Amino acid sequence: MRGFQPHGEGYQAVLEPYEARVLLSLAEQLQQLLSDGLGGNPAADEALHRVLPDAYRNDDEAAREWRELSRRGLIERKSSFAATMTTGLATIAAGDSPAPLQLSEGEAIDWMRAIGDLRLILADRLGIVVDGDEGGDDPPEAADLYRWLAWIQDDLVRALDGRR
Amino acid sequence: MTAAPLPALDEQLVVTPQHAAEVPWRTVVWNDPVNLMSYVAWVFRRHFGLDEATAEQRMMQVHTDGRAILAEGNREQMERHVEAMHEYGLWATLERVER
Repeated sequence: MRGFQPHGEGYQAVLEPYEARVLLSLAEQLQQLLSDGLGGNPAADEALHRVLPDAYRNDDEAAREWRELSRRGLIERKSSFAATMTTGLATIAAGDSPAPLQLSEGEAIDWMRAIGDLRLILADRLGIVVDGDEGGDDPPEAADLYRWLAWIQDDLVRALDGRR
Repeated sequence: MTAAPLPALDEQLVVTPQHAAEVPWRTVVWNDPVNLMSYVAWVFRRHFGLDEATAEQRMMQVHTDGRAILAEGNREQMERHVEAMHEYGLWATLERVER
């Protein structure tokens, strides 16, 4: 995969089918985790704690009220960001040759957000707690994915900035 | 936060003074070791409408001080900002302005 470039009114990058399959799988796992979180699954709640942080510190009552009002909507919107990824990737993932992925600006922003959420979840698994943590290598593929997703997100920021 | 080197910042570019008496709540964005500096600055520009230099300054403040105030206003407005930051995957809270 090379970087996103302006194309038409949006942005385009060419993805290898195996890259699309990896991203598709990650986006589907994120959707599943969010769905489990909506269902009150404690393991999902734990995995999502960085994705859905408290809005209040030092005020448990206000934090709880805010969660009750906002959590469902936030999960649904985050799930829709992940769905933008799966929709765009399905055809490329099913193919056998590199193919262009075309994103509108709104879709590119959905991608940035879903990728950010995936990195927060991976960081937890890798034990990245403070600035400078590189993360362990357990599992090694998680560390590689974490860095690759950073590259894609940074690339999308660069592509969107290029349009300003 | 984490990422590539950044241009030097102009320390003068601190935002307009606030009127604490009229704006009892504020939106705080906290440092985290995951979000990219480039992305955080982009979110600050996109959501709060900050110019590039101010967005960079706030982003660096989050990075070095551990937190930065991004907005002040009534509680409802600040809850909307916090929710928007959470949509972007940033760690934000709201708090009452101390008098």
